[in-house]
Amino acid sequence: MEKVKVVIIEDEELGRELIKNYLKEEENVEILAECENGFEGIKAIQDLKPDLVFLDIQMPKLNGFEMLEILDEKPEIIFTTAYNQYAIQAFELNAVDYLLKPFSKERLLDALKKAISRIKINQPRTDKINKLIQQPLDEIIERIVVKSNTKIKVIPVDKIRYLEAQDDYVMIYTFEGRHLKQATMKYFEEHLDPKEFMRVHRSYIIRLDQVVQLEPYGKDSYVAKLKDGPTVKISKSGFKNLKEKLNF
Amino acid sequence: MIIWMIIGALNTFILVYFNDFGFVISILESLIFNILFAILSIGIWYPVYYTDIEKNRFSNFFTNHLAASSLAVGIWVWLSYVILTSLFANDEEYLNYLNSSIPWRIGIGFLFYVLIASNYYLFIYYQNFKDKLVRESELKTLVKESQLSSLKSQINPHFLFNSLNSISSLTMISPQRAQDMVINLSDFLRYSLSHKNESLTTFEKELQNIDRYLKIEKIRFGHRLNVEKEILEPCLRYYLPGLILQPLMENAVKYGIYESTEKSNIYIIATCSPEVLEIVIRNDYDPDFITKKGEGIGLSNVISRMKIQYNRDDLIKINRMDKSFEVKIFFPQNL
Repeated sequence: MEKVKVVIIEDEELGRELIKNYLKEEENVEILAECENGFEGIKAIQDLKPDLVFLDIQMPKLNGFEMLEILDEKPEIIFTTAYNQYAIQAFELNAVDYLLKPFSKERLLDALKKAISRIKINQPRTDKINKLIQQPLDEIIERIVVKSNTKIKVIPVDKIRYLEAQDDYVMIYTFEGRHLKQATMKYFEEHLDPKEFMRVHRSYIIRLDQVVQLEPYGKDSYVAKLKDGPTVKISKSGFKNLKEKLNF
Repeated sequence: MIIWMIIGALNTFILVYFNDFGFVISILESLIFNILFAILSIGIWYPVYYTDIEKNRFSNFFTNHLAASSLAVGIWVWLSYVILTSLFANDEEYLNYLNSSIPWRIGIGFLFYVLIASNYYLFIYYQNFKDKLVRESELKTLVKESQLSSLKSQINPHFLFNSLNSISSLTMISPQRAQDMVINLSDFLRYSLSHKNESLTTFEKELQNIDRYLKIEKIRFGHRLNVEKEILEPCLRYYLPGLILQPLMENAVKYGIYESTEKSNIYIIATCSPEVLEIVIRNDYDPDFITKKGEGIGLSNVISRMKIQYNRDDLIKINRMDKSFEVKIFFPQNL
């Protein structure tokens, strides 16, 4: 049988050592790379195309979930984490297993066995993860991860001016530029802080403090002028909500 | 209600038996007297309610009730008299009896007043007692909850389980280092658990515990964690509330180190004058990755503890700079 290609992504050295040690005697496992953070992790997965990844959730700058979000082809995942607050999310992502630190060798080998049987069946990985990852957290997000060509960018929510729907994508306009992300407007409507953002139109979400002026635009529709020029369309109900919120 | 019916029946019985009046007269007279008093007794609630035994002097209490009872009994006897004399205007024998009975009716009136008023007092007392019990148990839960949450905040689960994972790993690589870390972690936990709120300790002891904590984090994060200390030796003998710096250190590590992919610095700077110990804890951070939600429970706990301890709210200064975050904290010494 062909060896199972493994990548370990974990920000603590001793955490990586532990997994390596547990896997030492497994002859049908080959460790291709060890990564210290999510950025290295993405690169390793894209370049080396492993079958299986041991993935820590809490990592600096780009956490395990955010990292998965921007991968097009996803290997099988075994999450490792110190705390069980992410268990539900992990299983929603169709992960092979979820190891709570500290875990035993038996527990890890058990997870490995599950992973191997999944890899053997070799079903093409669907894009299920992308859809599901859209609503893992029932909470306000603080940053958004986007990918442009090969570069990964993390956008703090504070830097967003407005969002515009574009078919299956959302264009994120920040103070510095714009970024395309595969996501739905509904996702952002639910996960951006309602104190700062509002959906004003089928295709627009705006940051409230960017609004300079509201103007009628044809019958039953309006536009909002934003700071430094751009204008966005506003629906009738969006206009009503916006007027209430801003006390215009 | 039942009590009134019994009293009414007794009254009727006495009248029929001892005074030989007709049955109808007896019932009517007892009904009138007793129903009137029952109605009046509702009014007695007010003097009772507004004349608290504990808040009034005895003389005050006595005059209030004397006035109220005289008024109540006066109204009662007068009203009953008026109604009964008009009802039985032609029954001379009864009217004579009624006239002669007024003095003892007044007596009974006062007796009823005392009985009802004391009943009301008992009722109020019982209500207050029940309220007090509820309040006390609410207070107890509050205290317990805050104790529990402070205990929880002292031992951060991410820190604990990740440290245990590091130990688990070290047992295979280097048993000696594993043992060191277990001892370090035990000392750290012991210090955290033995600490009692509001008790002061020396900066030296507090610093020792912070060193244990940083040593553990250093094992976890290696080169990523760098600590710079500038501490003037005399400051070590100054006093501060135990474990007050720990949450600040944890924050510095959390926002400075957990979120950094490269080497990141934490500074501990202590200076002191005769009256005051001043400590600065500063950490590097990358503002592009951490947004305003960075302050967390740790810091607000420290702020409220300082407020309770020193009864001042100007002892903490938070400074958010371009690429670093700083908490400056002052501990007055002459208390």
